[in-house]
Amino acid sequence: MAPVRLPRVGALLPLLRVWPWLLVLLALALVRLSKGALLTDAYGLLSRPFWPGPAQNEWIRSAQSIGDRARLEQLERENRRLRGLLDLPAPRGPRLQAAVISRESGGWWQQLVLGKGSLQGVGVGDAVVAPGGLIGLVASTTPSTGTVRLLTDPGSRVGVWVGRSRQQGLLSGIGTARPLLRFLEKDPDVRPGDVIFTSPASTLVPPNLPVGVIQRINADADPAPEALVQLSAPVDAVDWVQVLVP
Amino acid sequence: MALLSRQPWLVASALLVPLLTLASPGWLKLVGVPPAWSVIWLLPWALSEGRRAGAAAGLGLGLLLDGLHPGSASLMPGLVLLGWWWGRMGRKAPPIQRSFSLGLLALLGTALLNLSLILQWALLSWRGVVSLQGRVEELAGGAEALRQAGPQASLLALPLWRWEDLSLVGLQVLLAQTLLTALLAPMLCSLQLIFWRQVGAGWRGSSL
Repeated sequence: MAPVRLPRVGALLPLLRVWPWLLVLLALALVRLSKGALLTDAYGLLSRPFWPGPAQNEWIRSAQSIGDRARLEQLERENRRLRGLLDLPAPRGPRLQAAVISRESGGWWQQLVLGKGSLQGVGVGDAVVAPGGLIGLVASTTPSTGTVRLLTDPGSRVGVWVGRSRQQGLLSGIGTARPLLRFLEKDPDVRPGDVIFTSPASTLVPPNLPVGVIQRINADADPAPEALVQLSAPVDAVDWVQVLVP
Repeated sequence: MALLSRQPWLVASALLVPLLTLASPGWLKLVGVPPAWSVIWLLPWALSEGRRAGAAAGLGLGLLLDGLHPGSASLMPGLVLLGWWWGRMGRKAPPIQRSFSLGLLALLGTALLNLSLILQWALLSWRGVVSLQGRVEELAGGAEALRQAGPQASLLALPLWRWEDLSLVGLQVLLAQTLLTALLAPMLCSLQLIFWRQVGAGWRGSSL
């Protein structure tokens, strides 16, 4: 019996020889259709060790910081010039960097102890700021340390105003993390989210230092409307502060 | 002075209390409130040395700690009373040395110390409001409108606790500090009590 030939299989033989190339072609087509997804993912994976590291990020931040500082100095110069034109009192002098060596932000007394005192020029009543804004005033000094009464301390009273509506008020510490803002007017134009600054009318603190953000308002409070303020400076986290020396 | 010269440990350990108060680490605080280191130190000292030494130590410690804080409320009355009470207890009753008893005494002492502060602030606030109202009435000189408007506006700037804040924050501080101190006291006070009894026996014996 003669062997049976399969003419169809014979015709497919060239195709079977090139099937790896067909697979490659298919893969390339998939890459094309997926807009290069596999390719870029593979590139991303392989090039990961050479990605810009934190050092480069710091360079960018440093450059940004230098730019911000220059802009700030320019604004301060402009501010001084305008204040001179308006005969307003000159702003305070240099800022003294001081380390926080003791922190008591809960409990009966809410205070920080700084590693600089009267020998370094820190005086009672000096305003103390941290990244974010004002945190308190110097309550007492020793030759090498200064004690800062925080804005949250029940004995703290600072005159502030609302940046948007210019409504004046008195920021009073009540022993909790959020001090209480008591407005001087019966019907203040304020709403949650308004940023408050130190008041230009205050003789205790330099004007227009950022203080915090209004969180909740009690319009029915007696004798004046009240608002709870979230301080913008993280008192529990700061390790270095600046003392505004007059 | 004789006691001080014979007891250098008294001065050294008492000075640790304000230092620990200043350096209380964050992990040893409950809702931001540190333990009452003064109570942890005073309890074994007073139990070991008697009421007069306890009250004197309370007075000295109160002076030291009051120097660290601004404001008019003082820890002294509470600490003097606690020193006297614990000293009396140490001499009149059988010696207290069980950890549970020490923890309980520390708990009561911390609660009393905090209550003494709450009481002082409540009194100071009340006196402040009364004196302010008196001054405003004097200034108003019989003018009804001024008399009614004055005190309320002036109350805004009164640098003291309001009663509702005092009761809210005071209760939180009292509970947190009481719990933390009562947890630490059994271990720390037991060790100190053993130490003071050994040292005390030594110097009392040598003075005879």
